[in-house]
Amino acid sequence: MMRRVLVTFVIIVTGLLLQSTLFWDLKLLGVRPELMYLITIVVAILEGPNEGAITGFAAGLAQDFLLNQPKGITALTLTLVGYAAGLARQYIASPSPLLPTILVAVGTAAGIAFYQVVAFLLGQLEETFTFAVRVTLLTALYGAILTPILYPLLRRMIEGSRPQRVVRF
Amino acid sequence: MVTRQRPRSTRLLVVALVSVSLAVITLDYRQRESGPLAGIGSAAKTFMAPMQEAVTTVTEPVGDFFTGLANLPSLADENAALRSEISSLKSEIQADAFDQEQYAALLDLLRLSQALEPPVVASTVIANGVSNFEHTITIDKGSSDGVEVDQPVATGSPEAPMLVGRVVDVTAASADVRLIIDRSFAVAATIQGTREAGLVEGAGDADLRMSLVEEGTLIEGDEAVFTQGYELDGEAGLYPPGMLIGQVSRLVPGDNATQEFVEVRPAVDFETLQFVLVLQARTEA
Repeated sequence: MMRRVLVTFVIIVTGLLLQSTLFWDLKLLGVRPELMYLITIVVAILEGPNEGAITGFAAGLAQDFLLNQPKGITALTLTLVGYAAGLARQYIASPSPLLPTILVAVGTAAGIAFYQVVAFLLGQLEETFTFAVRVTLLTALYGAILTPILYPLLRRMIEGSRPQRVVRF
Repeated sequence: MVTRQRPRSTRLLVVALVSVSLAVITLDYRQRESGPLAGIGSAAKTFMAPMQEAVTTVTEPVGDFFTGLANLPSLADENAALRSEISSLKSEIQADAFDQEQYAALLDLLRLSQALEPPVVASTVIANGVSNFEHTITIDKGSSDGVEVDQPVATGSPEAPMLVGRVVDVTAASADVRLIIDRSFAVAATIQGTREAGLVEGAGDADLRMSLVEEGTLIEGDEAVFTQGYELDGEAGLYPPGMLIGQVSRLVPGDNATQEFVEVRPAVDFETLQFVLVLQARTEA
């Protein structure tokens, strides 16, 4: 349990570090990736809705505290994204290796759209509608591109930190 | 693989986490700067800043490489354009030298040189915000170096500063700067040559928008736009006058529904910004 908390902490901090530094230079058509969404969805796929929701909440809150806007919207969004992605994974029987990529793309798009709606309702989003659509689509695409690279890495870290009572094959 | 959890306890957990999130939103909304959440935010930033600095130092060349790669096709054109600009600038400099001498003499007369050069804190950009929804940078100087919230941030030389943004949050050893391209940024400005005053506002990745320009203003394009000093209820504006914001790129005529406005291309290249100056003293308008 302690080990899982530590591993999750390291993953989130690393993600936020890269997102605020390196990925500024590696933007895709002016948009940076949303790594917290990717991490949340990958954990949800591997560990189910329970862990998905907790990781989403932690990752979202961590990102919120680095922002200069009202905090909590990302935490709210990612709690729901983690839960939904975990639930969805349980009902999909497909063994396709593309499944994580698709779930990350769909989950990120839905999450970013939800985030913008909440931020707009709170009067915190001053972007135009075209920008909103562009960010939604491009972050989903960027997430899909990064998933094949990051999924195996995250999977090894997360599965390696599972409590010992889980039997692995 | 995935172990099935009891759905009821999971649902309860999600409801609890959502409630906490909503509580955080509400709390933070009501007590922005002063609440306990601001303290946690400050701690998080203090924790991240040294690591961001380290990562930026290491990845800077990597980033520069990709930025260079993306700009490769336009480099040859840019090179030629720069060469012709250099030759025309050389002749301008000679003409300017005379003006400069007169200007210096006048300044001395008015003893203004002190007031126009407020003390500055030079600092390095260590991170570029974390979200797609706000345009901020993090710098490596904080309250222990004298940086305070609302201080203007510039780049270039102290004699010819270009406006970068405004400090919005400080920790002991780092500070967050909201860039002029952020949509919640606004600054009073004036167009060179016309003496027209207006409000310049950020528009994200698009050019800045300058509104409140008087209808029928003659604008040719490429005029420089500077910050405008002003005084409201005896308090001077945040930004000292005469800081370069950008060049006029387009005049968008208004119609019945919309007001006329001017698009301004920022003078600062935020993609490659590495060093900035935090202006310490507010100059009187």
